[in-house]
Amino acid sequence: MKPYISATVFSQRETVGGHFLVVLKVSDSFRESLPGQFVMVRMKSCDQPFLSRPFSIYSVYSHGKNTFLEILYKVVGKGTEAFSRLREGDILNILGPLGKGFDIPSECDKIVLIAGGVGIAPLSFLAERCERDINGAEIVCYIGAGSLEALVSLDRIEGICSVVKISTDDGSWGHAGSVTELFRRDMELYMDNDSRIYSCGPNPMLRSLNKLLKGRPVACQVSLEERMACGIGACLGCVVKIKSGDVGGGLVRVCKEGPVFDISSVDYSEHNG
Amino acid sequence: MKLKMGVDIGGLALKNPVMTASGTFGYGEEYSDYLDLNRLGAVIVKGLSLKPRDGNPPPRIMETASGMLNAVGLQNVGVRAFIDDKLPRLRRIDSAVVANIFGETIEDYANVAEILNDAEGVDALEVNISCPNVKRGGVAFGSDPVLAGEVTRAVKNVSRLPVIVKLTPNVTDITEIARATEAAGADALSLINTITGMSVDIEKKVPHLENVTGGLSGPAIKPVALRMVWEVVNTVSIPVIGVGGIMNARDALEFLIVGAKAVQVGTANFINPGVTVDIIDDMRKYMSEKGINDINNLIGTLEV
Repeated sequence: MKPYISATVFSQRETVGGHFLVVLKVSDSFRESLPGQFVMVRMKSCDQPFLSRPFSIYSVYSHGKNTFLEILYKVVGKGTEAFSRLREGDILNILGPLGKGFDIPSECDKIVLIAGGVGIAPLSFLAERCERDINGAEIVCYIGAGSLEALVSLDRIEGICSVVKISTDDGSWGHAGSVTELFRRDMELYMDNDSRIYSCGPNPMLRSLNKLLKGRPVACQVSLEERMACGIGACLGCVVKIKSGDVGGGLVRVCKEGPVFDISSVDYSEHNG
Repeated sequence: MKLKMGVDIGGLALKNPVMTASGTFGYGEEYSDYLDLNRLGAVIVKGLSLKPRDGNPPPRIMETASGMLNAVGLQNVGVRAFIDDKLPRLRRIDSAVVANIFGETIEDYANVAEILNDAEGVDALEVNISCPNVKRGGVAFGSDPVLAGEVTRAVKNVSRLPVIVKLTPNVTDITEIARATEAAGADALSLINTITGMSVDIEKKVPHLENVTGGLSGPAIKPVALRMVWEVVNTVSIPVIGVGGIMNARDALEFLIVGAKAVQVGTANFINPGVTVDIIDDMRKYMSEKGINDINNLIGTLEV
């Protein structure tokens, strides 16, 4: 893989308040991207923000001779603020695809996606691929957000999933409360070997999902997020605690051993929000 | 014109003066997809301790103005796993391999150095007496001239390899430490390690790093590094390696002109994994443009 290469902003728009969808024209090497993998992105010829930012991949597709990569993000700080000002034709530096994506079974009855906020991004990409690659699987999605204004990617996910259930913290849309609560009401439908659960969202949400699923006979993978400097396993900035056994145990790198982990292997006893 | 880029660092021969700074280049293998490791003057690996270390709990890094803070806390596989699992791949590259070593006690340092005597493929040691992110060892040795000398002597006594001592900027007078380590037998010095700093989340009123403080690196610290290298080259007669915020060949050349015989590139590797090769290529370009046929003729040419 080459170090950072150029990518051109094809389009960018604000989807809902403070959330942006940027479409990048990238090299063909990104066609092999898998759901759950991420890219490191940096402004070209500008030292601010200083470090690259990791973004999970929202979608990758080819159109004619071109390959497009989509990133769905929320403005949370200096870096995302700077990216939100990008316009068509601007050039970025991009590295990827990086990390380990979701395990996608060749056969499966039910795919259950549980998303918190912009955590929908990698799950939407996963849903696209499950729809394409797994024959006859039913894909259902639980999405939670702070309020109606923060519900992103609804159109796309509703186009793929047979059922989409929504929760908002303030009750402005769907179930009033947390998305894990909403999922808990239905969870007995999925407690078998023919279902797979995938989740991405804030750490407190993943923590409560972990509690719900403890000891239950269902496979669940989560995509984790941490601050990163390099994205390639060198800076050791993005570590999370993993129970011993799985990928060595102890503090492992989200960028290299992850960002996707089995929820049962993540050690939620003392950290991760 | 044939350009000579080779330098000698206290008995360590480098084919060019560009090294990778410890802690920013893993064990080399992390970067093998992105650049030809054979091009480098040397690979300096992540600090090795006697036993494997988990390092500090996250969050460990935070971006700052023109730089970053880190408090990784010397997470590493331990010296024996390094020799068994990492060194075989590194040994195959045609660049010098420098093992950065770390201990909590002087005996630890000597033990790690001794174990590495038998490790084929290690060309030099870099003694880390300057890590600001660990409770014991590290900077505690590097900020006291007597202790710095003792660690240096202990490693020199047991090691068959050239010994580079890496100095901390977190002292009142770095030349004092430089003199003490030179007197204790150091073959070369590298400086600077990170500058201690911190950053606060004003919403939650907590430090951004779990360790509270961390080490500042990146272009923000380059002027400080350059000044300290200047002070040290005017104090000691052993070779000095310049480290701190080098992002490109221009930055590297500044250190050489000031008097460093080689440089280490650190944080820049994070934002461009191929940066070291770019720096070597651009250095060559500068040499041919300026008619410098031997890089040694550039070192220490600062006019003041």
